[in-house]
Amino acid sequence: MKQIKRDEGHDISWKDPAPGQVRVYVWEWPIRFSHWVMVLSIVSLSITGYYMHAPYVAAAGRTAYVMGTMRFVHIVSAFAFSLAIAIRIFWFFFANRWGHWNQYIPTTKKRLANLSAVGKYYAFMAWSPVRYIGHNPMAGAAYAVVYAMAIVEIITGFTLYAQILGNKFLLFLFGWIPRIIDIQWLREIHFLIMFGFWMFFIHHIYTAILVSVEEQDGLMDSIFSGYKFVTKHELQDDLAVQELEPDPIPAPAKPAADRPSKAA
Amino acid sequence: MNALPENGLRAVLEARGISRRQFVKFCSLMTATMALPPRYVHAVVKALDKTTRPTLVWLEFQDCAGNSESMLRSGHPGVGDFVLELLSWEYHELIMAGAGHHAEDALDRVVRDLKGEYICVVEGAIPTADGGVYCTIGGKTALDIATRVCRGAAINIAVGACAWDGGLVKSNPNPTGALGLHEAVPGLTNLINLGGCPHNPVNTAAVLVHYLTFHDLPALDQYNRPLFAYGDIIHDQCERRAHYDAGRYVEEWGDEGARKGWCLYKMGCKGPEATFNCPTVRWNGGTSWPVKSGHGCIACASPRFWDTKSPFYNRLPKVPGFGVDVLAEEIGWVGTAAVGAAMLAQVAGNIVRDKIRPKPEPAPEDKPSQSADA
Repeated sequence: MKQIKRDEGHDISWKDPAPGQVRVYVWEWPIRFSHWVMVLSIVSLSITGYYMHAPYVAAAGRTAYVMGTMRFVHIVSAFAFSLAIAIRIFWFFFANRWGHWNQYIPTTKKRLANLSAVGKYYAFMAWSPVRYIGHNPMAGAAYAVVYAMAIVEIITGFTLYAQILGNKFLLFLFGWIPRIIDIQWLREIHFLIMFGFWMFFIHHIYTAILVSVEEQDGLMDSIFSGYKFVTKHELQDDLAVQELEPDPIPAPAKPAADRPSKAA
Repeated sequence: MNALPENGLRAVLEARGISRRQFVKFCSLMTATMALPPRYVHAVVKALDKTTRPTLVWLEFQDCAGNSESMLRSGHPGVGDFVLELLSWEYHELIMAGAGHHAEDALDRVVRDLKGEYICVVEGAIPTADGGVYCTIGGKTALDIATRVCRGAAINIAVGACAWDGGLVKSNPNPTGALGLHEAVPGLTNLINLGGCPHNPVNTAAVLVHYLTFHDLPALDQYNRPLFAYGDIIHDQCERRAHYDAGRYVEEWGDEGARKGWCLYKMGCKGPEATFNCPTVRWNGGTSWPVKSGHGCIACASPRFWDTKSPFYNRLPKVPGFGVDVLAEEIGWVGTAAVGAAMLAQVAGNIVRDKIRPKPEPAPEDKPSQSADA
């Protein structure tokens, strides 16, 4: 999407939405690309990584090369995964308002309040979900945890790789880590976080289906196409924008009349 | 004491029944161990022939004497036989004839008269708890002795896991407050660590020969260990590596794979995370090493291996707080299953919520955000 339109709060592509709905370009291509690379690489990393922990395929024949192949696929997938994470982290700073980093780390009181409101929905304490065009605060926070896990995986993985490879540059970058945490514990962390991804995977599919059904905004399609369908006023009163407005702090130095007019 | 016996090293060795040929073979072994090109054999032979027999003192603290034994019983003629003749061993509790004041006097004399000239080998950890009372020799604590002797030595060699980083003695819960030499006597610049349980005598001899030949320490790694011995991963030098890459593993002790010499990865072999030249130098005159004899590596030359590499028969450490029998993957699978179950419960809950949700169009929800929506 174009930069100017984003600031106008107007980033809409009109094709033919249902009456009363607008078509919003929510997920830009770097987000979708990195998402699918992450999906594929996590699947292949899990399959090969679990084999590297506990080989579950019996090697057959004299020319078997099972572990070697698994390790090769694991390393190639690891580079793809790292690249996807790097693209996504880069894009945190240049994305539209729904992919921006502040959608993942709650920075304002309003967003924190809405995080607990979303939590109430999942705890069956509310009838319907809080409608968001992008991520709701709880989803965003969950993704922040997932990205943190991914970064830990990448760091521990490259540390292990540096030990195996003995590459000077990699050892310069990561060689200090095993001096603080032993290599076996790095392996343990690397292994356990894989289950964290599996847990997230189950949860992610579930909530995506749930919210897609509940909100009927084309959420599932949006990770392929980038577009979501929302009502016009929902776009105009976007929570992602409202939440980021500064918290109404009672400022003693300034005249009190100034604040409400600015917020309005 | 520095004076070489008049008949020279060659005669001394021959008196012990070691031929010139065996001596040159020893020099070749040392050159190969130090990863030097073959042309250095000549330099090593020449240097050792002309050795002035520097003084060596061997201190033993919290140890099992396993490193001394490893040195002395390394083969026939063992590297120990050569090293005993190449250097003037003035103090070594296990093998010295003197005892009591005579022995302590010998050590005192070396420290006093040969300051900055003698080689100090330390075996065993140094206790520091309760004033170091857990290891005293002749009324002095190990820490006192180590500080006094090591500070005046030309080079210090910490042999074995205990002297390097505390080893078994320092492993959890470490009741005696044991420390490795570099922690107990900080700031030793001429220190070389030869970890391993025990140290490999060939490596220790190679370090000594390197010092005698080049009057310097070999290239060291971040833990002050010689790179020639600790620079490569065991896994990369292992004769069972091909089975690892192929995917053929010993599943349990004594099974077909064990009989065929397959990879011990699934039995908890720590070869992939350990660095040592164990597979190439081997033990007992190059006869065998643990993996060749059918047991996984326990990474005995790795930092704090009792704590960090155990359990020795599992791939990964036990996760703290989950009991001794729980594996990491069990925690992971149970956690994943729990999340799956929670999601199924959510599905059920949502179906119920959809059924009983009040229909009216004004949405009087209890959320602040809902008002913006409606």
